[in-house]
Amino acid sequence: MSITEIVLRLHANSYYFFAILLFIIGFHTMLTHNNLIKKVIGMNIMDMAIFLFFVAIGYVRGGRSPILEPGVNHAFINPLPSALILTGIVVAVSVTAYALSLIIKLYKHYGTIDAEEIMRIRGGGSL
Amino acid sequence: MNFSQHLPALIVVVPLLFAFVMPLLARWRKQWCVPVTLGAIIFSFAAALQMAFQVMSTGPFSYYMGDWPPPWGIELGIDYLAAFAALTINGVGLLIIWFGSKDLLHELKPEVLGWYYTLYLLLMASMVGIVITNDIFNMFVFLEICAIASCGIISIKESRDCIEAAFKYLVLSVLGSGAFLLAVALLYMVTGHLNFTFMAEALPEAMVLYPNNLLVAMGLLVVGLGVKAALFPLHVWLPDAHSSAPSPSSAVLSALVIKVYAVAMIRLLYLVFPRELLGIAPVMEMILWMSTLAIIIGSMFAIVQDDIKKMLAYSSIAQIGYVFLGVGLMSESALVGGILHIFNHATMKSMLFLAAGAFIYGTGARKLSELKGIGHTMPIPTIAFCIGAFSMVGIPITSGFISKWYLALGALDVGRPFFTAVILISSLLNGIYYLPIVVNAFFSKPEEAVPAPKQLPREMLVPLALLSFGVILFGVYPSLILGIVYRAAQLLLGL
Amino acid sequence: MQFLGSFLPVWIVMFPMVMTVVIYYVEQRSEKMRNALAVATSVVTFLSVLALYPGVMAGKIIEFELFQILPNLAVSFRVDILSFSLALLSSFIWMLVAIYSIDYMCKEHGCNRYYPVLIITLASCMGIFMAGDLFTLFVFFEMMSLISYVLVVHEETIEALRAGYKYLIMTIIGGLALFFGIIITFELGGSVSLSNPVPLISEPSTLAFFAFISFLIGFGMKAGMFPLHVWLPDAHPVAPSPASALLSGIMLKTGAYGLLRVIFHVYGIEFMQETGWTVILAVVAVITILLGSAVAITQDNLKRRLAYSSVGQMGYILLGISILNERALMGNIFHIFSHAFMKSTLFLAAGAIILKTGKKNIKDLGGIGRQMPFTMFAFTLAALSMIGIPPFNGFLSKWTLSLGAMDAGVPFYVLILLISSLLNGLYYLPIIIAAFFGEEQGEGHKHEFVKINEAPYKMLIPIAILAVSCLLFGLLPSNLPFDLSRVAAEYLLRGGF
Repeated sequence: MSITEIVLRLHANSYYFFAILLFIIGFHTMLTHNNLIKKVIGMNIMDMAIFLFFVAIGYVRGGRSPILEPGVNHAFINPLPSALILTGIVVAVSVTAYALSLIIKLYKHYGTIDAEEIMRIRGGGSL
Repeated sequence: MNFSQHLPALIVVVPLLFAFVMPLLARWRKQWCVPVTLGAIIFSFAAALQMAFQVMSTGPFSYYMGDWPPPWGIELGIDYLAAFAALTINGVGLLIIWFGSKDLLHELKPEVLGWYYTLYLLLMASMVGIVITNDIFNMFVFLEICAIASCGIISIKESRDCIEAAFKYLVLSVLGSGAFLLAVALLYMVTGHLNFTFMAEALPEAMVLYPNNLLVAMGLLVVGLGVKAALFPLHVWLPDAHSSAPSPSSAVLSALVIKVYAVAMIRLLYLVFPRELLGIAPVMEMILWMSTLAIIIGSMFAIVQDDIKKMLAYSSIAQIGYVFLGVGLMSESALVGGILHIFNHATMKSMLFLAAGAFIYGTGARKLSELKGIGHTMPIPTIAFCIGAFSMVGIPITSGFISKWYLALGALDVGRPFFTAVILISSLLNGIYYLPIVVNAFFSKPEEAVPAPKQLPREMLVPLALLSFGVILFGVYPSLILGIVYRAAQLLLGL
Repeated sequence: MQFLGSFLPVWIVMFPMVMTVVIYYVEQRSEKMRNALAVATSVVTFLSVLALYPGVMAGKIIEFELFQILPNLAVSFRVDILSFSLALLSSFIWMLVAIYSIDYMCKEHGCNRYYPVLIITLASCMGIFMAGDLFTLFVFFEMMSLISYVLVVHEETIEALRAGYKYLIMTIIGGLALFFGIIITFELGGSVSLSNPVPLISEPSTLAFFAFISFLIGFGMKAGMFPLHVWLPDAHPVAPSPASALLSGIMLKTGAYGLLRVIFHVYGIEFMQETGWTVILAVVAVITILLGSAVAITQDNLKRRLAYSSVGQMGYILLGISILNERALMGNIFHIFSHAFMKSTLFLAAGAIILKTGKKNIKDLGGIGRQMPFTMFAFTLAALSMIGIPPFNGFLSKWTLSLGAMDAGVPFYVLILLISSLLNGLYYLPIIIAAFFGEEQGEGHKHEFVKINEAPYKMLIPIAILAVSCLLFGLLPSNLPFDLSRVAAEYLLRGGF
């Protein structure tokens, strides 16, 4: 496989490629950062990557939005993934809100939002 | 169009509806909260019972939401496993919240009590939803509701430990849900369906074309649901979450919530994925070894705990290993054992957690060393604890013995006595950490004089008594539920 | 009548169980009633067992299935000659111990716990002997083992709790090993019933061997087999003396009974002779005999010495099982009888001494024979029987065992029996000699003569009956235990039918 071929295939699958890239970025952020808010941000990036991936499944290059008109015959985008992901986004938003509210409570108890710091105050255990 | 036809939908919708009524009631009619919650769950329980009878008499049936037939609409599939799991969830859930109606008064601030019932009903609805749905995206939605609600019933007690445990649980849950959603995307990509039945039909063909795609999807599913079910190396969130929560929450989390994910995994692995795919990748073998490690290491961690609820939480990790052991062995007896253990562990672990809750309620003691002589001051919870402990060890005439019997028989059926030995060793380990508590409760005297414990209200004693009665009853007459479990296992294995 | 006959085993097991509940309620009101009920229950149980005698001696086997727990797994009862013999022996000794307990326990705490536990242990013991399948046997075996824990830790001292913990863990290990064995038997044979016309396991395989080892561990643990005997010398002495008598006299035998059932019903005698797996049993039995007897010499605590002696004596029984011929079996079953009589006498006598003097160590027992002549006389009878001096029953069982060993062509076993008898002599005779001829050992106040009376007659009568039986069953050439052992041995060698 030549370089051009790889580039071309990447281009053809660019949505998936970037979705995976985003997923890794999000996952990495979530695991390596001690700041709880950054963890939540990482979580969101990861969620978005999955949403992108999911929506990309239904995308047809050059397709239109699936509004049927008599006499017009076009390639349509599959609307189902987008519809599903709307639900997914709602879920992600509520989880984020909940996580942030928990962080506020943690800040009230510990005076910090740094996982290491909380661990130190608590003495042992991990977050 | 009669009423009972809609039971599969109502069993989810009714608790969901009352969940949202609850805050209003909490505001204006505080004393109605408990009866309404109990009523909603009793309704679900009755519906589950009716569904179970229907399934047993006429076979599995499905329900189309809004009358949209699949693959367009959402289908609820009531098969033996679903009916069995729904029955377990509502039955045990009912007893737990009944106990909780008094126990929560001392654990929670009065102004959040109403919200607790909201969360609890949401949790019940979503758990039932997970086990009866036949649509993978619908399952995802219920998984998310379940995740948030179960974090909610931990963090509602706003202590430091609870908030922290809830946060940890939430983060890992989201990771699990993410993995699950990615798997859904991959499956949808190759099959174009979200309905289990249609996916299962399309998958053998897709397997030839995109085997890697499917393997990744399966791996993600196992990891995603494994995190939520606390399957061994993914269990890190469980001990804190289950031990810091208010006792009814701990009971429902350990007894039901982790099992629901196991049920989901059983359905996906057995009903959706083609059997040949399991041949390509040693997923079952992996599950087997993970569960073996869970069983042994979970028990070992439990031995060194000093906090009674933490010990019970670690014990749950070991016990969920039993369920997965049954799943991984892939023989009829083992699967029967695994599924049966979902029910048996639900009854005994909820009983143990509630008994622990009763000790905490009565004396405030959480440390094992503070529970010396508790058998004389709080006899009923101690006897319940004692029965639960015996059942955990697998002493005959308790229900724990029956599930162990089937699991051990299943391991022998497939010619792997090693796993029988694992079950036995773990029973011994269970004995090592459960029995000293029982012994100390009855035969040791506390080091210093302790004040007499608070008297337990009847609402707390009756569920404990019922659960202990259940553990004995299903140990002596397991045939009461074995019928449905057998059919479930046969359906899953395609026998 | 037919139905009544087959219902009798269920009655024998259920009656004490029901009475346990009754006693539990009665004892809240009246202690006298409680004691009377406990004794009455054991007497009725004994008589009920006795009622089985005509049928069983006529060669009838009573079977009764109570209900099925799982397919092919039922709670069922089955009485044949072997079950009957052991049930008769146990209920007899239980009855005597219950009578003995009335006076012994009156100064102890926790009687309200002791009596119900005593009676329910009787029920589970009857259940073991009358079980119709391995599962029922296992259920009652676990029940007995776990409930007798309460007897072991009765004193609630640190020492008792520690011994109890050891006992509990060993019990669980044994129970799990049994579970393993039973489930393999179920897998290979499709059933665990003892009334199968052919043995359940017919082909040697690795699994079958595992099962045999598991059974050996499970039942051997209870029988105090080396190296699983470690709990026994701790647990038996700390229990109250009547309970020790039962633990050593009866409950140890359940292990031997289980092994007999396993060897003759699960595997069958041909299988055992072909594979030669019983050699393992023989080797551990020899070690058990020598170790038990030798360690007993070094013990100073009287009850501890008796407990170690039990280990040694159980070795005889295990050795008898492993030889697999008629006379050895006969000797083995007869020794179950003899040892039950002797060891109960010894423990009950020791209990009387402890109750009256509070002395637990042998070095303090000098001259006790002059103060409590009756008790010590009984003790002497049993001890002589233990050593194997004719005409006591201990001699008879050893003699029969030796004949069996000679039949099997292993004179080495006879040598072992002789050595062990010698060792028995070494640790029993000093006690007797010191008791009758030794100096009194007062703690610093030698001349302050404390008059020590004999124990109350409710304690003396059981001791007397047991001691006389030791003599009687050795003296008479044809007595009930001996006949029963003979018939049972023949019956087992016929394949259990």
